[in-house]
This record gives sequence, C-alpha cells and structure tokens, in this order.
Amino acid sequence: MTAEKDPEGFERKHLHKFADFANKRVLEVGCGEGRLTWQYAAASTLTVGFDSDHDALRVARADAPHTMQKKVHFAEAGARNIPFANESFDIAVLAWSL
Amino acid sequence: MVHALDEIRRTLKPDGTLIDLRPVEDHWAVEIVSSASYQLAGRLTDVPIAVADDEAAFHAMREVESRGWYIKEKEEEFAFFYYWDTPSEMKEFMDEEWEGLEKMDANVFSAVKSTWTMANADARVRVRVKMLITKWISC
Repeated sequence: MTAEKDPEGFERKHLHKFADFANKRVLEVGCGEGRLTWQYAAASTLTVGFDSDHDALRVARADAPHTMQKKVHFAEAGARNIPFANESFDIAVLAWSL
Repeated sequence: MVHALDEIRRTLKPDGTLIDLRPVEDHWAVEIVSSASYQLAGRLTDVPIAVADDEAAFHAMREVESRGWYIKEKEEEFAFFYYWDTPSEMKEFMDEEWEGLEKMDANVFSAVKSTWTMANADARVRVRVKMLITKWISC
C-alpha cells in the first residue's frame, strides 16, 4: 500500500518558482527521507538536510543518487540548535516542518 | 517555533531566503479521477490538533515578522495530490500514515467507494491537499 505523491510535479514547480537554487548553499529543515531534497539539490552547490528522525535520515542517505553524494549531506539534529556556523547558507527550506 | 526560526536566521547569509512549504488544513477534497473526468466524492474532516498546528505556525511567522527578522516577499497556494488505485488502499494509507492528523468519516468513505465503483475502469482515488508556499527574506 503506497500512495503516488504529486505526479504532476506542482510542488517542484512552485519550489523553483520561489527560489533559484543554482550555485546556492541550501539548508533543508526537517528533510525526513529526502523526498523534497531531490527536487532541487542538483542545482545547488551544497545542500544540507537535517532532521531529528534517525530512521528517516537512513532512508535519505540510502536514496542519495550517486551523482549527488558529494554535494548533499544529511545530519541528525533539531531546529532549536542547528549545528552550523552563522551565515553559512543562502537558502533555508522548511520542508513541511513548521 | 520562534526560537527555531531565529536559529535558521542565524545560519542564513544577510538577505538570505527562507522558503516555508507546508500543507494547511482545509477540508481536503477526495476525488475520483479517470482519463475522462474527475468527481468530488467528499471531504476530509479537519482534526483539531492539525488545525492548532497550522495556527501555531502562522502565529510564529507573524511573530518573527513583527520582530523584523524576516520580510514576506510572496506567497501562493497550490494543490498537492496523493493518488491510490482503490478506495481501500487510500483508507489503509490514511489509517497508517495520517492517523490522528486527518479524519475520513464513514459516510465519506462510502461515497468514495460508490463513486469509484461507478466510474471508468481506469479510475483512481486522490486527495487534494492544500499547500502553502511562502518566500521570506531574512533581515
């Protein structure tokens, strides 16, 4: 039993309409299994997704396309203490997580 | 939430972009869709805890805006569809994945099943989720 999600690609279309990810450093908050990550990460210079769900991050890492393994990274963390330095990213994405 | 938004702001470069992408409760429609047409079969019931989550998120964004941490640049709504081959698959998914978050009343499920049964052979079931995307600039 699985659901097919957004086959029309409306989410991806709106995401790219609202932000230009080309050559940007992106922080994704609440990345979960990385479903959203793969919709923009290819354009970015660096994408870091973080989530407090250890199991979801395992899926995200396992699903990482070979071509993106150098530019996409996942970290286990909560949003109250984000483990990155000041002014590190150009774009932050709240991925169904606010 | 406000503290988390301040943390995100700390990690953003000056004039950085924050994209807030999330579903919002709005009695999401359950539709029967085939190659020929689509029909509204019913609507899900908004659950108080999910409505409260939405309100908390809106409150947090209003708060950080009032503090001058972020400026709203633009906002749009759009539909995000979940599809299943049968009403039973939809019900099973909702019971497992959306338990406590979305509620489908028995009469709505009956209407979905009967509408699907009478539709074309290629008919599928979908839920139309209302999505909100907002672009904020950090200050």
